[in-house]
Amino acid sequence: MEDDDRALACCHHCRDPLPADGGFQSERDGTQYRFCCRGCLGAWSIITGAGLGDYYRKRSWQDSGGMAEVFAARYDDKMLARHVRQGTEGDELAFLVEGIRCATCVWLIEKIVAELAGVYQARANYGSHRVLVRYDPERLTPARIFAAVARLGYRPRVLTRDNLHRAAEAESRDLLLRFGTAFFLAMQLMGYSLALYAGYFQGISEFARDFMQVMAALVTTPVVFYSGWPFLLGAWRGWRSRVPNMDLLVSLGVLAAYFYSLYATVAGGEVYFETAAMIVTLILLGRLFENSARRRAAAGVDRLLHLTPDTALRLEEGREVRVDSSDLRPGDRILVRPGERFPVDGNIVAGESEVDEALVSGESRPLKRGPGDPVVSGSLNLAGALNVMVAKSAAESFVARMAGLVEEAQARKAPVQRLADRLAAAFVPLVLALSLATLLFWLWRGIGLGPALLTAIAVLVVACPCALGLATPTAVLVATGRAAGRGILYRGGDVLEASAKITHVAFDKTGTLTTGRPQVVALSPAPGREGSAALAERLLALAAAVESGSTHPLAEAIVTAARERGVALNGAGAEQSAIKAVAGRGMVGQSLERRIIVGSREFLTCQGVIIPSVAVAGVWAGDKEKTTTARASGAWPGSAQGPDLPPLTEVHVAVDLNYVGVILLDDTLRPDAAALVRELERRGLQLLMLSGDNAGVAQRVAAEAGIGRVFSAIDPAGKKEIIEQLRSQGAQVLMVGDGINDAPALAAAQVGCALAGGTDIAVGSAGLVLTRDRLGDLAPALALARRSLKIIRENLFWAFSYNLVTLPLAAAGYLAPVYAAAAMAASSILVVANSLRLSR
Amino acid sequence: MLESTIALIILSLGLGLAAWLAFVWAVKKGEFDDPEGPKYRMMNDDDDDRENGSRRD
Repeated sequence: MEDDDRALACCHHCRDPLPADGGFQSERDGTQYRFCCRGCLGAWSIITGAGLGDYYRKRSWQDSGGMAEVFAARYDDKMLARHVRQGTEGDELAFLVEGIRCATCVWLIEKIVAELAGVYQARANYGSHRVLVRYDPERLTPARIFAAVARLGYRPRVLTRDNLHRAAEAESRDLLLRFGTAFFLAMQLMGYSLALYAGYFQGISEFARDFMQVMAALVTTPVVFYSGWPFLLGAWRGWRSRVPNMDLLVSLGVLAAYFYSLYATVAGGEVYFETAAMIVTLILLGRLFENSARRRAAAGVDRLLHLTPDTALRLEEGREVRVDSSDLRPGDRILVRPGERFPVDGNIVAGESEVDEALVSGESRPLKRGPGDPVVSGSLNLAGALNVMVAKSAAESFVARMAGLVEEAQARKAPVQRLADRLAAAFVPLVLALSLATLLFWLWRGIGLGPALLTAIAVLVVACPCALGLATPTAVLVATGRAAGRGILYRGGDVLEASAKITHVAFDKTGTLTTGRPQVVALSPAPGREGSAALAERLLALAAAVESGSTHPLAEAIVTAARERGVALNGAGAEQSAIKAVAGRGMVGQSLERRIIVGSREFLTCQGVIIPSVAVAGVWAGDKEKTTTARASGAWPGSAQGPDLPPLTEVHVAVDLNYVGVILLDDTLRPDAAALVRELERRGLQLLMLSGDNAGVAQRVAAEAGIGRVFSAIDPAGKKEIIEQLRSQGAQVLMVGDGINDAPALAAAQVGCALAGGTDIAVGSAGLVLTRDRLGDLAPALALARRSLKIIRENLFWAFSYNLVTLPLAAAGYLAPVYAAAAMAASSILVVANSLRLSR
Repeated sequence: MLESTIALIILSLGLGLAAWLAFVWAVKKGEFDDPEGPKYRMMNDDDDDRENGSRRD
């Protein structure tokens, strides 16, 4: 019951404290009620107006508060339309409801929705918070149903992946229940069977034997018809569609054993109920293993998808409205607060922050982001609130695309598996014929109907090519799931298989072997009184002080270099107060004491700085290796640049018209490129590089990476031709690329491999995606593929040899059906366990 | 002799049934839904307060 004091201080609907001005109030039946907001008042009016005032007396809330913002939520019929299922008696809409706290909430939602004009039936599930509404599409729209729920202060949400998740959960529970039941009954049955065995050898009274047989029949019946129901159903479907499947084989074996034993119970004779029960139990155990392997693989996808939040704050005419992420459309503005992940891909409109993209791209440093910069769904906003313009809907954003790729991989069948399926289809009629022949043969030999039938059943059971059917899919599932967790995405079992057979690896240059981003490779300070190392440090510090606020790639590279060398930026912090950027040319930092100019040669000249014609030798103590390899020829730009050297980017620095020096930037080799090349060569792979750049640049990068064969100055079609030529010579080619220009070559190769940082089209046309944007991941990817193929071959070998050995044994009558079932289950478990080795 | 056997059989059926019911109850309650999770969950009980937990990792 309502406590009067509480009712006065709290909102009557949501029980939040009332605002200072007393909020809204209303009167009903002579009693004054107070509300914290118009939404709660509206909800109360709807509830009491519908005669459901009981709600306030019955509900048992643990805590106060509602979701005030949901009252104003708007829902769009077009967005909801795809979640509607058309049925014979009206349309069906299933959705989740957030904010349900007790059984009364469920009752209220059911009542209110059921009273909408046009609703046939509304059912809400307390456990799952799922509501199913059947309604007349002529008289009602999904948006109005959602709005009706929202007006009560609950948030309806469309079922997206949750739907699939729940279905999978229900399926595995069902399987476990069926197996548990079969196991329990089989244990009971074992007791009776043991007694019957003992009686067979030592003698048993007629009554005791009949009693045991009836008990055995009693416990076996649920095993066959409840636990075995999935097989029976599958067999029936296979029979009806004239596609013989493995279920048909199993069902025949089980039903034959069961009905023969039932006949023997009535007519007298030996029973074989334990055979029927054991077959069902053991096959269910095999399925249980298969199911857990499948779920382990699916967990990778879920982890990926949970990177994005379900809801977002949309800015609508200056107000913040919390909406489902799936409702966001390109062009919407959303607010992402610090500590939140981006729900969709977008571009920053206002605000500055640091963004952690570690989970998305593998980039471990927080990245500075400001207006105009793109943000990727799933990455984390660290510092400040950002106003973001949505560029892609949630379903098309990075995380969803990657998850889609994984799912596609798990659905696509490897050629080996298709072979196994075809084999199974041809196998079934053959086995049926063999079983029939066995039965007829033993009948002709005159051993009696019972033993002859048992032998025929043993043939049926032992021939079941379950292990054969499991051999490839389990290995593919485990391997792709394992790979996804390490940032390697196989888009199908066929890709996994092809990757294992690769003989040639072709690399693109820019963005693949190199980072695709400029990095500081040398510092060349103008001569001065101090030592050159100190001068270089001063040069970098000055440039970084001015550039630290910018998100320009060159500026980022300079600031990164400064951080790496531990150069203090704060000493020159005063200049940051007044920084002027001249787009595409340079920046000027102005303070009371001095004026720092950073930019291109032309920019400094325009500012009146005189740049000496001869620059001095560079010093780059921070990363000697990089400097020496990048500058192997020893030539410096600004002085005498070698003819075969790439045009380096120069950033010149001056303080008050005094020239300080030049910072040289270049697109450098990825840090893991050389190690990868060594690793791949060690494994005996042929490596080549395809580049659109001129021979000089291509040769230099290839030499740094250690690749001998270089094709330079070739266009996209040329790359494709080279790959096709190699393939026609029998080579198995893997192409690694990132750009739009690589897409044809990626598609032409047996395996196209793209890095996640690459363009959409490259990622789209690649079968193998390295999602952490780390080239070094290619080596473990290929190693995993080889291991997988080895495991698949082992699996197929075991499955085939099992069938080859046991079939004649069963036909000859040496294998009782129960041993056949045990042997079959053992081979299935062997195959699954062998596949699970890949997850280690 | 036979009476005691029958009594034992019924007793074993009853015990088995009790165990089976407990199993069915546990499955329906979702005890077996997530065999992996609990061992991790105990390590990070406070994962939910995202407001202040952003910089921790």
